[in-house]
Amino acid sequence: MKILVIGSGPIVIGQAAEFDYAGTQACRALREEGCEVVLINSNPATIMTDPETADAVYIEPLTVDFCERVIAKERPEGLLATLGGQTGLNLASQLAAAGVFEKYGVRLLGTKLESIQMAEDRELFRALMREIGEPVPESWIVESESDLEALLDTVPYPCIVRPAYTLGGTGGGVAYDREALWEIGRKGLKLSMRSQLMVERSLLGWKEVEYEVMRDSAGTCITVCNMENLDPMGVHTGDSIVVAPSQTLTDIEYHMLRTASLKIIRALGIEGGCNVQLAVNPDSFDYYIIEVNPRVSRSSALASKATGYPIARVAAKIALGMRLDEIPNSITGTTKASFEPSLDYCVVKIPRWPFDKFVSGDRTLGTQMKATGEVMAIDRTFEGALVKAVAGLEVRNKDLDDLGYRKATEEELAEFVRVPTDGRLWALAEALRRGWTIAEVNRLSKVDPWFLEKIKGAVQSPPPNPIAYKMVDTCAGEFDSRTPYYYATCEAESDMVADPS
Amino acid sequence: MGAMERTAVVLGSGPIRIGQGVEFDYGCVHCVYALRALGYRAVIVNNNPETVSTDFDTGDALYFEPVNADSVEAVCRRERAEGVIVQFGGQTAINLAEELHERGIRILGTSPDAIALAEDRERCDEMLGRLGIARPQGRAVQGLEEAVAVARQTGYPVLVRPSFVLGGRGMEICESEAHLREFYSEAEGANPGKPVLVDRYIRGLEAELDVISDGTDTLIPGVMEHIERAGVHSGDSMTVYPPRGISRAVQGEMAKIASRLATEMGVRGLLNVQFVLDGETPMVLEVNPRASRTVPYLSKVTGVPMVALATHAAIGGTLRESGYGSGVWCPVPLPGDPAMNAGGVWAPGTPGAIAHPDRYAESDDPISRIYAVKAPVFSFQKLARVEPALGPEMKSTGEVLGLDSTYEAALYKALLASGVSFRTQGQVIITVNDADKLEAVAIARRLVAAGHTVGATSGTRRALVEAGVECELLNKVQEGSPNIRDRLYEGRVSLMINTPKPGDQNTADARMIRSTCIGTGVACVTSIDTARALAHALEAYTDPTKTSCMSITEYLARKAPSSTPSLVT
Repeated sequence: MKILVIGSGPIVIGQAAEFDYAGTQACRALREEGCEVVLINSNPATIMTDPETADAVYIEPLTVDFCERVIAKERPEGLLATLGGQTGLNLASQLAAAGVFEKYGVRLLGTKLESIQMAEDRELFRALMREIGEPVPESWIVESESDLEALLDTVPYPCIVRPAYTLGGTGGGVAYDREALWEIGRKGLKLSMRSQLMVERSLLGWKEVEYEVMRDSAGTCITVCNMENLDPMGVHTGDSIVVAPSQTLTDIEYHMLRTASLKIIRALGIEGGCNVQLAVNPDSFDYYIIEVNPRVSRSSALASKATGYPIARVAAKIALGMRLDEIPNSITGTTKASFEPSLDYCVVKIPRWPFDKFVSGDRTLGTQMKATGEVMAIDRTFEGALVKAVAGLEVRNKDLDDLGYRKATEEELAEFVRVPTDGRLWALAEALRRGWTIAEVNRLSKVDPWFLEKIKGAVQSPPPNPIAYKMVDTCAGEFDSRTPYYYATCEAESDMVADPS
Repeated sequence: MGAMERTAVVLGSGPIRIGQGVEFDYGCVHCVYALRALGYRAVIVNNNPETVSTDFDTGDALYFEPVNADSVEAVCRRERAEGVIVQFGGQTAINLAEELHERGIRILGTSPDAIALAEDRERCDEMLGRLGIARPQGRAVQGLEEAVAVARQTGYPVLVRPSFVLGGRGMEICESEAHLREFYSEAEGANPGKPVLVDRYIRGLEAELDVISDGTDTLIPGVMEHIERAGVHSGDSMTVYPPRGISRAVQGEMAKIASRLATEMGVRGLLNVQFVLDGETPMVLEVNPRASRTVPYLSKVTGVPMVALATHAAIGGTLRESGYGSGVWCPVPLPGDPAMNAGGVWAPGTPGAIAHPDRYAESDDPISRIYAVKAPVFSFQKLARVEPALGPEMKSTGEVLGLDSTYEAALYKALLASGVSFRTQGQVIITVNDADKLEAVAIARRLVAAGHTVGATSGTRRALVEAGVECELLNKVQEGSPNIRDRLYEGRVSLMINTPKPGDQNTADARMIRSTCIGTGVACVTSIDTARALAHALEAYTDPTKTSCMSITEYLARKAPSSTPSLVT
């Protein structure tokens, strides 16, 4: 079977190297199953555009015109679009709308177009959520400036503006008053591929949690991993410090959200990977479904690296019709892809922002992603992983101590703690170093007290230097796993260097 | 672990940032592949979860750890590694060479001393002087007064930049002493304690070469020409391979200079050399003893496995063992040269031939079947309060490539892929600085001939109308509505050409125009050179179906399909 894979194009904020990783893995997975792979991508700086990755590589602009010509020439039977980020999905939707699939008899593999549209179109998605009884925050759809104007006096402020069909939340933002809503809304309408945006009740300050889930065509579902944002709602996930697995959820909450995520992926009929974002009230069991990405994403790349579960590879095989219980887990070699990973370590991701370059840039973080990249660190403890991630960021500060914040007055520091910026982690650390109470720092920042306790601990007695190496064990010792994939930690014993087999 | 097995540690480039993107992951991954093909156990250290290099089956072992001296040293000792390869992990990895060497870890490839030499302005100047290689006048300074004195000697404008910094942070072209005095502290602050470089600024064509050397032979896979003249960071420039505006004689001269530098420095692996042309004289701007961001695309369009050859050289292999040697790689051999299937252990190689730089310089025969144009892609829409005008500081986050058998088609594809809209409905707005007015007239004329309508504010419009180019008058923002900004909001603008006055990027009006373009998603070109290229592409193409549609393998194939136009030079 000949399959066309759409890449994600150039690296932009919101769409970085994770799609080279996912695309490369998918191309290999498809070829393993005997497929002939044709690839189109305009980004030459990628592994996936190597002549060895696919049977034919087209370095062409990712537009309908150019893509149609490749289809006309290569005549693929199938097309895989869920691995090329939002660019890939958008292009697939446009090709379908232009009748290209019908004209050349191309079948969209994996998640169906209707499912994609249901997940991405706010109104359809909300209707589906209502149908299955999953809560979504009250919201209003805006499709013109007059819609927007009508809304100015009815919505609760602050409210969130989210344009539909854009990358990384481009053009979105938090509006604290009607002037801001008018300004952000007008801009968002222009940037949305469909001139559509949603104005939504603000859940600022709630916990933000993500579940990476997979489903095959037989309806088997698993959660690969869940992740919790250290920064509460209001900061884009791509700009949040993220920890995997979640650390502050109770067992009841964990399972409540897991059940909701699996229910959603079933209702959408996803065939492959999917990311579900949820907001959780820190003071009750209330939660809302925020967003669903019916494709491989930045979060799934992180989840793959955090758990050792190759989401893109498995998603590609599911797209060919394979079932989770038929796909071997290539990391353990002993289990199947239907086994949920379990971790005996903690993973922390910290974004890398470009403000060292853009000195004049607006450093506040909101619903529009600003980071260009990220680092991940693995350790036995949250503190260990956090400190290690900071050390690897390659920014001015190699640890949690920042001279600038040290010099800040109490009032200035309170502002740095309250308003999310690229430096907030260091502001939190400084406040705790000064002896501010956890309650006070939590009141200002809404960061969960558990995280604050841990940061305080890391500030007061920095974790010792790692002296041993552990293997990334994706089954927490339950099964034998032989991955030559290590992290350093402070324990007495190292795992052996694995036998290359 | 087998007792006889040789282990090498490959350093990744850490988090993706401006100046250090996915292209460095390409280098690391191919280095690992090459090491494994050569029988090595390849171990990766990197902490970026987004990359192929941190995929569980890319290397023989993966350490998900920060790319710093402590963790790299510990991994080298645990793995009993023969040494560490630092030349593919961008500035992150190369910056660790000296410290790792001091801690007794062997650096595989170009020596730590040669790496330090390339980055040390005085030693580098001394070497260039000794070899009789020209570079723009200037030197490293330690304070403002010394900078002013150097600038007086060289004359303005001067390029001011910090040393040991990737992607041109804290860099600026200073037009006057006042400007230099104002800017200096920023350059100093970008890398405190390190000297600041002050050089005469030459507004000439720029070119760069990535070369591979084993210490004896030096291979030049290709010469790349920048479309924007000096002053725009190389990472933000459009580049074209093979060059169009630079004579083969000058290209040959650059090839010889780069080879001489590689030999003198004892390079084992990759070396990137950047040039500016002062008339016909190539002057060296930068010498980078590592893989640069152009390596992935140059590898793809020439068919030379650059990273594999460099890795082989880094562990003591030779270019000859791989079937290559000294000279300029010509995917289409010069007349009389037999095509060879170089590759050696990397077989099957892509056919081509190596020409001596002199022979390459003397010949006008085509050396490539394709043109490849790289264009930068920016993320300004995500970042508020950022100045989008191009300058010596890098701002792009990614890149795209246009490939075709003609320059115009490749250019068209590259611009289109980078987000420039080519629809003829809608207006092209032109507001340029005085120095660019003459060129703007020529560009506007071409745009009008290609069916576009043009609008301009008073100054530029006067120049256009005087030259007989039809042009609508648009109010400046402070002249009241309807003005240029309203026009952008109306959604009737297809393209903005707005070149800032040199040294004065902060004029409120121009800034507002550019930020409105970002807000409304209208492509904004800020270099007159980019605008000229764009007009050129627009003249030739408005319809994608007129361009070629071939896979990269077909483009490189010895015998091109019959639908492909003839060879290009």
